[in-house]
Amino acid sequence: MMFADTKTHQNPSTSTVTQEQLGDQWMVVVLDDPVNLMSYVVMVFKKVFGFDEMTARKHMLEVHEQGRSVVWAGVREQAEAYVFTLQQWHLTAVLESDEAR
Amino acid sequence: MKRVEVKLNLEAVAPLLDVIKDAADDLRPRLAVNPAVPDQDEDFSSEWKKELLEGQNSDLGAFLSLFGSEFFASGMVPLDANNREAILRACSAVRLRLRAKHLRALDDEALESGEATLDDLSDVQQRAFAAYVFLATLQELIVQHLDPNDLSE
Repeated sequence: MMFADTKTHQNPSTSTVTQEQLGDQWMVVVLDDPVNLMSYVVMVFKKVFGFDEMTARKHMLEVHEQGRSVVWAGVREQAEAYVFTLQQWHLTAVLESDEAR
Repeated sequence: MKRVEVKLNLEAVAPLLDVIKDAADDLRPRLAVNPAVPDQDEDFSSEWKKELLEGQNSDLGAFLSLFGSEFFASGMVPLDANNREAILRACSAVRLRLRAKHLRALDDEALESGEATLDDLSDVQQRAFAAYVFLATLQELIVQHLDPNDLSE
């Protein structure tokens, strides 16, 4: 089906360089919500993106303190798959174009 | 395979199951979070939401199955690698629904800390808040003892 659960971990920095070269950058943004536990959000970030504990906590704290965190950037298709997976975990995830910044 | 059997206090948890099942029933036709679908196309949006809802209902089924005859006989709920992710997600979905349905009067600080002045809440709200906190405790327990990222299993 079109929205297959994303289990593949991709190195975000490698992906970013590639996409900047291509000039077509899409961002996966997670927004804050008062319900999901911090430990749960960290666990989800580690599971979905393969982040280590420190990176996952950094993004979780960005979400908590700044209301949003860009957790991944790259090609649209992969970004959509990540947004879908995060929504399966009931996080508020949105797709944004780099041009909108 | 690592497995954790949690013995719950029947007297404390059983009264919460009605409000939890009620919230889970509410979620059968609707998503816990209205998703931002990254495409305006109607068919795409419809399919996106349909798949999310199917997954949510599957998770809720796994979660509610914890509270069958074995639970009422012994208070035990079995958690393992086969059901932990579904239960984590289901707890999140039900907590979001409890908040939307019963706990809108509570500010974000109370929801995040799990601390509220119970005297300010109606009976229904008190039970919903107790269920909300119980589900958070279950999630914490799974993350602590059955973290899906634990590669040592």
